[in-house]
Amino acid sequence: MALLAGLGGLAHLSAAEGNDATARRLLAQAVVSTGPAQQKLLAQLGDSGSPAVRDLLAAWTRDEILIYEAPDGSHVPVVLEEQQDAAGKARAVRIDNSQYLADAQHHELRFASGDLNAGDSDMRLRGAIQQALDSLTLADPDPDARRSAAVKLGNSQKKQYIPILQARRGREPDAAVRKAIDESLALLQLGDADAAVQVAAITRLAELQALGSVDALRRAVAASPDPRVKEAGRRAVQSIEQHISTVNFFGTIFRGISLGSILLVVALGLAITFGLMGIINMAHGEMIAVGAYTSYVVQNVFGSGFGFHITLPFSFGGQLLAFGFTLPGLNATGWWYESYFLFALPLSFLMAALAGLAVERSVIQFLYRRPLESLLATWGVSLVMQQLFRMVFGANNVQVNSPSWLLGHFSLDDVSFGYNRVFVIAFAIVIVLGTWLLLTKTPLGLLIRAVMQNRDMASCMGVRTQRVNMMTFAFGSGLAGLAGAFLSQIGNVGPSLGQNYIIDSFMVVVVGGVGSIVGTVCSAFGIGAADQVLQQVLGSPVMGKIIVLATIILFLQWKPGGLFSTRSRSLD
Amino acid sequence: MPNLNDTQIIRRGLLGRIPARLELIGVIAAALVVIVVLPSLNAFAPEGSAFHVSDFTINLYGKYLCYAVLAISVDLLWGYTGLLSLGQCLFFSIGGYALGMYLMLMIGKLGQYHSDLPDFMVFLGYPKLPAHWVPFHSFWFAAAAVIWVPGAVALIFGYLAFRSRIRGVYFSILTQALTYAASLMFFRNDFTFGGNNGLTDFKFIVGHDVRQPATQRGLYICTGLLLLGTYALCKWLTQSKFGKLQRAVRDSENRVLFSGYATANFKLFVFVVSAIIAALAGALYVPQVGIINPSEMTPDKSLEAVVWVAVGGRGTLIGPIIGAVFVNALKSWATRAYPDLWLIILGAMFIVVVLFLPGGIVSIPRRVMARWRRPEQPLPPLPTPPVEASADPAKTSPASSAS
Amino acid sequence: MRTSYRLLLASGALAVASLFAANRAHAEDKVVKIGILHSLSGTMAISETSLRDVLLYAFDEINAKGGVMGYKIEPVIVDGASNWPLFAEKAKQLLEQDKVAVTFGCWTSVSRKSVLPVFEKDNGLLFYPVQYEGEELSKNIFYTAEAVNQQATPAVDYLLQQGKKKFYLIGTDYVYPQTTNLILYKYLLLKGVPVENIGGGLRMDGGKVVSAGKYVPFSHTDFQQIVADIKQFAASGDACVINTINGDSNVPFFKEIVAAGLTPADCPVVSFSLAEDELRSMPTKDLVGELGCWTYFMSIKSPENKAFLASWKDWLGTESYPGVVKEKRAVDSPMVLSYDGVYLWKAAVEKAGSFDVDKVRAALEAGVDFTGPGGKVTMQPNHHVTKTVYIGETRANGQFKILKEFPDVYGEPFQLKALDEKLAALGK
Repeated sequence: MALLAGLGGLAHLSAAEGNDATARRLLAQAVVSTGPAQQKLLAQLGDSGSPAVRDLLAAWTRDEILIYEAPDGSHVPVVLEEQQDAAGKARAVRIDNSQYLADAQHHELRFASGDLNAGDSDMRLRGAIQQALDSLTLADPDPDARRSAAVKLGNSQKKQYIPILQARRGREPDAAVRKAIDESLALLQLGDADAAVQVAAITRLAELQALGSVDALRRAVAASPDPRVKEAGRRAVQSIEQHISTVNFFGTIFRGISLGSILLVVALGLAITFGLMGIINMAHGEMIAVGAYTSYVVQNVFGSGFGFHITLPFSFGGQLLAFGFTLPGLNATGWWYESYFLFALPLSFLMAALAGLAVERSVIQFLYRRPLESLLATWGVSLVMQQLFRMVFGANNVQVNSPSWLLGHFSLDDVSFGYNRVFVIAFAIVIVLGTWLLLTKTPLGLLIRAVMQNRDMASCMGVRTQRVNMMTFAFGSGLAGLAGAFLSQIGNVGPSLGQNYIIDSFMVVVVGGVGSIVGTVCSAFGIGAADQVLQQVLGSPVMGKIIVLATIILFLQWKPGGLFSTRSRSLD
Repeated sequence: MPNLNDTQIIRRGLLGRIPARLELIGVIAAALVVIVVLPSLNAFAPEGSAFHVSDFTINLYGKYLCYAVLAISVDLLWGYTGLLSLGQCLFFSIGGYALGMYLMLMIGKLGQYHSDLPDFMVFLGYPKLPAHWVPFHSFWFAAAAVIWVPGAVALIFGYLAFRSRIRGVYFSILTQALTYAASLMFFRNDFTFGGNNGLTDFKFIVGHDVRQPATQRGLYICTGLLLLGTYALCKWLTQSKFGKLQRAVRDSENRVLFSGYATANFKLFVFVVSAIIAALAGALYVPQVGIINPSEMTPDKSLEAVVWVAVGGRGTLIGPIIGAVFVNALKSWATRAYPDLWLIILGAMFIVVVLFLPGGIVSIPRRVMARWRRPEQPLPPLPTPPVEASADPAKTSPASSAS
Repeated sequence: MRTSYRLLLASGALAVASLFAANRAHAEDKVVKIGILHSLSGTMAISETSLRDVLLYAFDEINAKGGVMGYKIEPVIVDGASNWPLFAEKAKQLLEQDKVAVTFGCWTSVSRKSVLPVFEKDNGLLFYPVQYEGEELSKNIFYTAEAVNQQATPAVDYLLQQGKKKFYLIGTDYVYPQTTNLILYKYLLLKGVPVENIGGGLRMDGGKVVSAGKYVPFSHTDFQQIVADIKQFAASGDACVINTINGDSNVPFFKEIVAAGLTPADCPVVSFSLAEDELRSMPTKDLVGELGCWTYFMSIKSPENKAFLASWKDWLGTESYPGVVKEKRAVDSPMVLSYDGVYLWKAAVEKAGSFDVDKVRAALEAGVDFTGPGGKVTMQPNHHVTKTVYIGETRANGQFKILKEFPDVYGEPFQLKALDEKLAALGK
């Protein structure tokens, strides 16, 4: 998106630069040519060093370069501007001269996105484009991009890249990129015929702790007759494998914390409704789904709008009953569109809280002293809600796009940290703190705790318990909605979304100790970490999950009240 | 923890007013129809005549009867002893698997690969029959396994749970976790029980072709007899001193404990008995429906069984039978006529029963009669919370007089 | 107050009951009943509902052109409710009570396994349209589905052609992925790929490999560990992932792949359970270039496909069956194979001149063909179908761009034994 906005500007700015102009002409030729000629043009482009062309090449791999068939039969490659008019059409920028595409009368032509065919690209061509891009990217202003380009060139096993890389090595200011270039150079030199060069390369790889080089090293060891190469290679592999296990260790810790955060976010609402209120809310999962679907609707409102249409699944006198309404879209783009998620968070809380309120008023208020029956009734609610999701949103999962600031990751010494994972950890901290503050530092929190400790006594003291119950249940459901908004970013959003999390949520709350927020936090991280460690050790996610469940069952024999059980003299 | 007592609700569901003799006559009549009349009509009435009962119907009713037995086992735990198990289908499935293993081995060389091994073992590359499968060549070993395997599982789990005094909702959640873990286990191909596809394509049972109408009729009659037997056993249990103790544990476990009873052992006994009953139902279910797979032990299946009991009327023995048959017949119909509505119907039925009809279907006649006889009197109150019944001795005493 | 509650309830119940009573009436004189046996509720409804829709479309299309031998088709729709014993019950109902001439249905292997004995006992006819693991051949079932050699092995051929050297196998823990991956493991060995280049792990039993690849439970949501593993596996280049993850779990899997920065240029993922219908719920913008392999893609440019898509769209605009979603519909391979199945059956009935199961089966086994949206399909004597296999890559609009075709691939359900023999001959 941002790229295309840039392209519009390019139309005016870059025309003056001769290098870019030549490169653009080459590119325009490359798009419409085929076979070896195309490969050659791409190689030339790779050497051009033109930043404008790099963006266009990237656009090509995404099928965003379109072909306009001129009336004279010639093919003109163009990209569409981002700016669309009322009819959803946009001006087209020519690749070759960066002018707007116009007809013979110099009227600018406008197209909708589906009007033109994309320039052909297949896997092999994209490979070639990628190589050209990689050479170009080695000069990218962004160090991350330079680094990944260097890694790719190293894996290519093509010696022609050695001079390119060496040239870049001299000019490279960034240490991490220099390391990547060194790694790539060593990998390329590993294929050298001279044993001395090979040994030097192997030593270099071992020094660099190059993760991706293990296979190449093993191959080199196996292929080389030279004992020096074999010995050096063996040692290098050993040292790198040592490094891999360290990386896995820290990676597992991070993944455990991140999974723990997800469990915590998911279970916190239940810790309120079940832990504090004693309501076995089997519809908790559906509250999560309400939050996730709210994010979906908000996303669509930021896009082209969303229509609610329900057709009742039976006919009435041969006539289907259908009703619905449409939320108009904001047609937002760019960062404004991506910010939808920030609006989705509070709205998810609100919608789930409202749903919780409705459930509390209609069903749960009659069941405060009958926990087993609240379990049964809320299970009924959960079934009804699942089917309602199907009727409103369809049986299929719906598509939720993550904003770009939640995609991607950064690495520290080969341990990778996904942005969404870092976000969920921060998110978990924020909502736990918020909940804790609400419960302990506000008047409402005081009332909630009073009612939960002794409903009758609180009532006698003049607390409007009905109201507090209502608010507490709505708050717990709202927290579930927040969890749903987050889950829409890492998983699927569908009618059975809640079912995937309900048992885990109950386990977290029960292990933590019913009624204890601290316990819930500890057990969420404990279960998350145990799950990730077992996965790593056993290599099987299924067995990991089964062992975690079995351990929980056994743990509860030992500590029936959970980690932090509330002490009481009561027998029940 | 909040009090878990639901005496009052259950009491309303009891058929206490119906004279014992009338009930006995009703049960004998129903048993005659189910076990003698229907199979005879299936076997002897000519096809096309108004009296003919089709093979399909017999098979379908056989399935319902299995569900009814399962429902009684749930009710024995929940309605009579106050233990809501959400994992009863685990025992049902284990029973099914135990007999299913025997049925698998009886296929012999008639399978896809004409091998002595069950098909799934052949194409997953098992070199030979795993050791724990070998004894299942014997029907009697399998039949014994139907009883002792689920019994042992229930004994171990129950011992651990009751010893550490896990009760109420914790018991429910733990049983749910247990059945969930077991279903994950059985879904794995490595677990040697056919993974997700389960056990299927049965051919013979004790020398009879399982697909023949006569065999199915036999299985149907066995199921009817099992139901009758279960009914009689539970009737005897619940009417004896044992039953009094059961209800006492349900209503106030602590007082029973303080009166010198080892309630943990008592609950363990009930848990094991009900697990075995469920397993027997499962064992008869499998040859009639022709498949057992791990989705039978997923938590929602057990919850569904609880729905049957709640809808029929818990704390009675007729209630679960009526509930199981009614809900499943409704399901058979709704999944054909209005597939999109089935979940809403099931869910709404549950909410309505919990909120408005705690005694289930069996309490309807009594409610109607109460209204018809004494219109000036208000109906039994809506289920506003019974106030901490166990804490107040005066409130619990009528419960015992109702039985 | 309480009385009014009751009144409200009672009147509500009455209203609902009256709605049920108003039912669609059929009043044709010469009709043939056809069963539709899919899950319309429960977890599998996601996939199976669209098969019901396309079958209804095919029936309407045939009825509009005069039916089958002059008989109008009357669909009997039943819901398996994602419940396998219920599938068997419904199959019995269709065969014994409704006496349908043929049934189209089932998606999961377990549902097919569950109804198979019923169809064999009552001598019914079932058409099964979804890619599956093979290793089965019933005289009462016709598999228009892709066999493993019509999907998985061609995809691997293509990847080898593209210079891929390392293969990571991942799937959901059930029979289809396990079998497919075992076949692929042996196939890769046969193609000279060394064992250490096949990722995901192996499980041995008695010295034999009985399971290859990494497996996750149904509805698994946490793929951090696995993707980290794949990333290490792919660090040395020329790697790809063979994905047989089923259903919902694909979304978190691919979101994790994107977050970890594994691009199709580095390490493409070829998926066997993701078709156009499933892609509608995926973040396709970030997945451009991932691969799929089916015997039909919506983007096929044949005149048959264009006509089919146009007519399908028209039908959606005019039909009035309850529960058919009208908007944003995709068409995919299982749907087209269902559709092809209907026409293959029709051709066989017309050839046999009868609805009798034995005669129709004989006609089918003798070989009938139909040129459908995905190209020509021909029924083989082994109840599978010869058809064209396409490799495609995903595009931002949720469609596949076709990269390669393998025309007229013969469906071969039994792969494992043949592969074992070939491997033994090579001494591996």
